[in-house]
Amino acid sequence: MPFLRLFGPSGEFRRRIEQSRDMLYRLAYAWCHDAPLADDLAQEALLHALAREAQLRDPERLKSWLCAILANCLKDHHRRRRDHLSIDGIEESATDAGATPEALAAVTELAQRVRAEVARLPLGQRQVLTLVDLEGFSYAEVGEILAVPIGTVMSRLCRARQALREPLMGFATTPAARIRSVK
Amino acid sequence: MSTAQRSDPVSREMQNAFVDGQLDAAEWAALLERIGSDADLRIEICELRATQDMVRNAYADVMPRARPAAAGWRSWGLAATLLACVAAGWFAHGLLETGRGPVGASGAAALRSVDANRILVHVSSGQRESLRTALDEVEDLLRSARTAGRGVEVEIVANSTGLDLLRSDASPYLARVSALRREFPNLTFFACNQTIERLRERGVTVDLLPGVHVAPSALDQVVKRLHGGWVYIRA
Repeated sequence: MPFLRLFGPSGEFRRRIEQSRDMLYRLAYAWCHDAPLADDLAQEALLHALAREAQLRDPERLKSWLCAILANCLKDHHRRRRDHLSIDGIEESATDAGATPEALAAVTELAQRVRAEVARLPLGQRQVLTLVDLEGFSYAEVGEILAVPIGTVMSRLCRARQALREPLMGFATTPAARIRSVK
Repeated sequence: MSTAQRSDPVSREMQNAFVDGQLDAAEWAALLERIGSDADLRIEICELRATQDMVRNAYADVMPRARPAAAGWRSWGLAATLLACVAAGWFAHGLLETGRGPVGASGAAALRSVDANRILVHVSSGQRESLRTALDEVEDLLRSARTAGRGVEVEIVANSTGLDLLRSDASPYLARVSALRREFPNLTFFACNQTIERLRERGVTVDLLPGVHVAPSALDQVVKRLHGGWVYIRA
């Protein structure tokens, strides 16, 4: 019976893992908008990573490897909570629990209003958007992290930004918004 | 990605790829020229960039809650060389094969073969079969060590649904855990406080078995032990 994973992580590997904790938390939070859950997901991803150092063949790709683990941890979380729904359905359905429009609309800070709009996106779009915008991954890297074709990455990103543009431009006093308003 | 012809509308995918720096040099230059002569396209691109900036800024200050200073995260760099305990062939997997499905040694002798005196076994699944296997492995290890006259210390750290193992109101192996604790004073159990807090926030009362210690989080306990030269085994 498959059971154990043994490891002895190198000092350098552990140091880099340590430096990744905040990044993983931020990404997890951007995906679920639930601080306690983001804490749990980041912890679980790091524990997975610590036990699987030798799977990381290219140390330069540590960050994308960690993000892929995080994505799987979130999938596992949804699977445990809603095992009667397909993961694809969750990825394409809007709004996670804990980030209801009513609750999030109550906040007034710009950052929180933006987060509320991001939280309304379907999970799959939210993941692609935040991997690109927050972590600066290429489309190819996002495809690897989420195990989806690059065309799916591009279409999800496109839909996400289309959905965000109007509400976000309404919040903004940016030159773009001003240009639009006088056009 | 093919470069849009001058007379064709520039697709939204291309606009996004431009903003994200995903075009090659020729595509980028062609689109840049087009932007220079197309006011509507300029506005589209400008709004895309503004949207991207707003998303980026919205999460710029998101940070995890403060962690306990004693957890040792900041001193990892000083840790001594740790015992490598990697079974050959276990990790012959692709870069992005992650977090899914069991990856590990076959056979119940795996843990007994660990040549280390301080071992942390991490349990994160509440499935009965998984918990039973973990207890079997730990018991085998402790008996083997005792027979061989080898002094070992073993910690079982439980989080997530694996915490059930150590809950007096939920453990499927109450009697066995208690018996192991009585028989092996060199076996210690730790519960993850982060998991306990989550359960309490959801209104769940968590009663731990007698003698179970509480760690700030499973991750912090693992890191602390790694710093002390322990071997980490994920069940």
